[in-house]
Parts: sequence; C-alpha cells; structure tokens
Amino acid sequence: MRFNTTSEVISFSRRLEDESAVFYQTLSRRFPQEGSDLSSFVKENKKNITQVERSYHGVITDAIEGCFAFDLDPEEYELEPELLEYTNFPEAIDCAIKIEHKIKSFYESAAEQSKSLMADVPRAFLMVAKKRNERISRLKMLKS
Amino acid sequence: MAILEEPIKGVKLVKNYVNGEWVESKGEIYDVVNPANCEVIAKVPVSTAEEFDDAVQAAKEAYWDWRSTPPVSRARYLFRLKELLEENFEELSRIQTQEHGKTIDESRGETRRGIENVEVACGIPTLMMGYNLEDIATGIDCKLIRQPLGVFGIIGPYNFPFMIPLWSAPYAVATGNCVVVKPSSEVPLSQMRLAELVEEAGFPPGVWNVVNGGKAVVSSMLDHPDIAGLTFVGSTPVAKIIYEGCGKTQKRVIAQGGAKNFLVVMPDCNVQPTIASLMTSFFGNTGQRCLAGANLVIVGEDEEFYKDFVQKVVDTASKIVLGYGLDEAVQVGPLRDKGKKDNVISYIESGIQEGAKLLLDGRMVKIRGNYPDTCFLGPTIFENVSPSMKIGNEEIFGPVMSIMRAKNLNQAIEMCNASTFGNGHAIFTTSGKSAREFRYKVTSGNVGVNIGIVAPMAFFPFSGMKDSFYGVLHTQGQEAVRFFTESKVLIERWF
Repeated sequence: MRFNTTSEVISFSRRLEDESAVFYQTLSRRFPQEGSDLSSFVKENKKNITQVERSYHGVITDAIEGCFAFDLDPEEYELEPELLEYTNFPEAIDCAIKIEHKIKSFYESAAEQSKSLMADVPRAFLMVAKKRNERISRLKMLKS
Repeated sequence: MAILEEPIKGVKLVKNYVNGEWVESKGEIYDVVNPANCEVIAKVPVSTAEEFDDAVQAAKEAYWDWRSTPPVSRARYLFRLKELLEENFEELSRIQTQEHGKTIDESRGETRRGIENVEVACGIPTLMMGYNLEDIATGIDCKLIRQPLGVFGIIGPYNFPFMIPLWSAPYAVATGNCVVVKPSSEVPLSQMRLAELVEEAGFPPGVWNVVNGGKAVVSSMLDHPDIAGLTFVGSTPVAKIIYEGCGKTQKRVIAQGGAKNFLVVMPDCNVQPTIASLMTSFFGNTGQRCLAGANLVIVGEDEEFYKDFVQKVVDTASKIVLGYGLDEAVQVGPLRDKGKKDNVISYIESGIQEGAKLLLDGRMVKIRGNYPDTCFLGPTIFENVSPSMKIGNEEIFGPVMSIMRAKNLNQAIEMCNASTFGNGHAIFTTSGKSAREFRYKVTSGNVGVNIGIVAPMAFFPFSGMKDSFYGVLHTQGQEAVRFFTESKVLIERWF
C-alpha cells in the first residue's frame, strides 16, 4: 500500500515522531549519563509534530491538492526502534542514527513530491529534515 | 491506515436553534444518510413557515440590542467563536465527511476556509469604518457611516455544508445584523454543530438562528417583510428564482448559481503539477463544486503533446482511490446521494449518445472497503466533446471531464466566453503573455493561472459572472461588509 493523500502522510509523520520519541525515552532511561541530550530529542519531536500539523491545518490548497501529489511507500520508512538488553551505548546510538536517516529521508521525499503544488507543508517537511540532519551530527558527537 | 472515528454516533435528531433555544420542529421528518455506508445518521425536520417566522421575530427582537453593541465587543464574540472552532476543528471536519461524503482532507480544507471568514470578520471595527471630508462647502462637513439593516436570511447548499454559510453569517452579525440560517436539509449537522459553538461563545439569544427546512422556509424568507436581504448559494435555476423574488420584495440579495468551468491547457504548461491540479479540480469533492473543472481545453495542433497529455490524465485518474472519506487513503468519496449519481450517469449516457469518446468510465467503480456502490461514481473522462453537446455546456456536478481542443489561445478563450456561466475558468501555462491574455479577456468572476480550483480566500470576494452570479456585491471580505450595511451620509453645518 502506498500513501497518496496528505492526511495519510501527516498521520505517518506523527507516527514516526511518536515512535522515535519512545525510543529516546527508553534510551535516556538506559543511559542516564546522556539523559538530558536524549530527552531534548523527545521535546523536539513534539515540536516537529506541532510544526507539521499547524502547516497542514493552516493552508487549504495544501490539504486538497496534496491528495493527488504523493506516492510514498511507507514500508521504506518503517522504524526498527527495538533495543536489546545487551545493546551498549555506541550500538544504541548507531540504531538512533539509522532511525534519524530514515525519518529524514521520509520528510525529504514527501517535500520533494509535493513541492510543486503545495506551499507551507513541504516547507515544514524540509525544516524538520534539516533538524534531523543536525540531530545526526549531535548523535555522532555523543558516540565519540 | 485505520478509518478515523465517526463523531456522529447513532441517529441524531436535528433541532432548530431559535432565540438561543434548541427547539423541536413540528414539520415532517426526513432521514439524513451517510452516502458512503448508507447508514441513517440523523433525522431532519422540514420546518413550517410559522416556525421560520418565530426565528425572524426572535432575530428582530434581538436586533436593536445587538446593533448598539459596540463593534469591538461584537468582534470579541467572534474571537471566542474562532477559538471554539479551532478547538473543535477535527470533529467539525469529520462531521462534514460523515454527512456529505467528501474526504477528510477536503473536509479539513473546508473547515479552515470557514474559520478564515470568522477571522476576517473579527476585524470589523476597522472593516466597518466609514469616511469623511471637512469643508465640502465652507463650514460644512460630510461623513459616511455604515449601519446594519436588520435580519438577514442565509441559505446554504449541500456541497459545502460547513463553509458556505460562513461566507455570510460572520459578516452579517459582525456588522450588527441578526441572521436566520437555513442549512441544506441533506446535510444539516455541520450547521447544527456550528450553532452549538455559537451558543457556547455566548452570542445573545436571537442573534444567530438556524431553521431547518425546504421550500416553505425559502419562500417565507423571500416574502417575509422583516427580512432585509438574503444570501444564497445553489443551482442557477433556483438562484434566478431567489434573485427575482428579492427584486419583487425589495430585498438585498447575493445569489450564487452554477458553473461550467473551462480549464485551458497550453502546450508549454508544466505537465506534472498541471495533471495533479486537474485531478483535484475535476474529481475532488466528487465534482460537486461550483469551481470544479468541467471542460478541459487542450490548445494547439501538436498531436504528440495532445496524445501524451491525455494519456497521462487518464492514467492518473484511473488510479484514484474511491471510498469512505474517513479512510485516510481515499482520494474521492461518494456523491451526496443516489439521485445525484443517477443524474450524473444520465449525462454520461448522453455523452455517449452524442458521439463523445469515453476514455474512462466511472460507472465501473472499484470501492476501497466494504461499502455499497449506491452513491459512488468514479472519475469519468470523455474526449471529442464539443461545446454544443449536453455534457459540454450543462452543469453536471459530478466527476466528469470533457476534453475539447482549440487551435490557439484565442479560440480557447472564445469557447470559455461562449458559455452561459462565468465562475472559475483557468489556464495552465508557463507563458506570462498567454496568462495575461487569458485573464484579460475571459468572462469569469474568478480566474486561475495554474490553479485548478479558483477559490478566493476570505479577504477577497467570491466573485461570479453571467449565470453563475446574480447580484452586485459578493460574499466574503469587504464586499460582504458593504452588503450587510447601508451607507448613511451625514452633512453637517453649525450656525
């Protein structure tokens, strides 16, 4: 099944943000020494949802024309946020980086597919993708 | 993806909202049916002329207190209403999908557009200002004041159950008038929920009334001596009756009728976004929009471009997902009811009889989910259509695209202008010269350049020409403020 409508894409972006927030919550409990950095990602995820949904609800053209703009395969962006009992910190951060790359790729593809027709929503997607890129750098620093 | 939760559970009894009270009507009761699953979701009354009169009397009684409430205070009621609409955004949207059939994306868009009118009306202290000039003659000053007129009637259509009454009502009450809204009896639930929020916002009793019904209410509205004017959106034949009726009883009127919109595609257009825009325009809201594309005019004699473009349109349209609008994967919902579907089918049959070539037949419908096909009709595309064919010149109000050809832009503009309607023609091109030529010459109240649905936002008037609009001023924005007020001119000299 592929995503064609804006509503599907927005709901899926919420799911990705929620799932990765749960992942970071678990991570911050397992590795309390890096807890504050990891908890800040949870807050940022909530802000991302607000930013994307506000854009979606704010612009009529985006909502209706977007229904014919998308062609996304959600399976490409499914996250695997499971942390095993024996996963150590560097391995957990590798897992986080993998998740972030997937989410970034989702936002970039969604922005690309809708950019000709829509205005604010693809802009919001790109802003979140940019934040994701910054987060990848922060995660790499945590690992080192 | 799951199907979103339905906000209407069981069968709701629709009541009138009169003088701040919820009143059961004595009129006949009809079913309101969800067109996607054919379930009865409400019972709506056909109110009597007497019940309508009760609402007018309540509005009349509320009028003087309300019109002397300072505009800045009236605006605060609207600010509160705007907050409540935002808080209930998702529920309002889902109600529209449940009662009308449109997709959730379309409903959310409709909700936003409705709220935007409330937002604009919140600016009434500025919007309603008059003007003045000192010394029109030595020692004599002149000023213009805008004053409300009394009680207005607002008649809503079935295709946008939430938004369209909001093209008028916020401006009417912001300027100090009182209103009686008559929603379409096919889709009364959105206006009922809106009235609940009006009540919650604390509007004084009698300022905003809702009376459900049909012809009896409309006739009473036309004839009632205490109705100062009315706004109507619906079909052209009824718009004509309303316009003539208001002329006879000296009422102000905005009567918005039907359409047959031409979307002109130039060979230099940006193909990919043009096609996506065409899909929304022709098939979105299942074609039940007065701004929906109806005729697609492809310009030029480049056979290769024509064939390639048409093939892409057909391929894209054939992949559109039909189903229940609360299923997020659905791109097009059902028509409002079976009668409307049968009407569209009769046009498809006439197109075949008149010799148009059927490229995509929406009667062969595949529905996502286990829903009856009662009201569903898929995207339908004809080519070799001429403007003289029934499908080429009458409003179908369904998901039917009629493809025509024009040798050049001038011929395309002539085809647009030969239509008796003039609502929302559009051109798709990358040439500024062609775009200017089109917008300059085309007789259409709303004109699009690379826009498939030429819907003006709340701070612009919703225009229309020829058989698409009868009246002078339009709904929305500054023009609505002028419609709902009279200009009083004061000339002043002190001895």
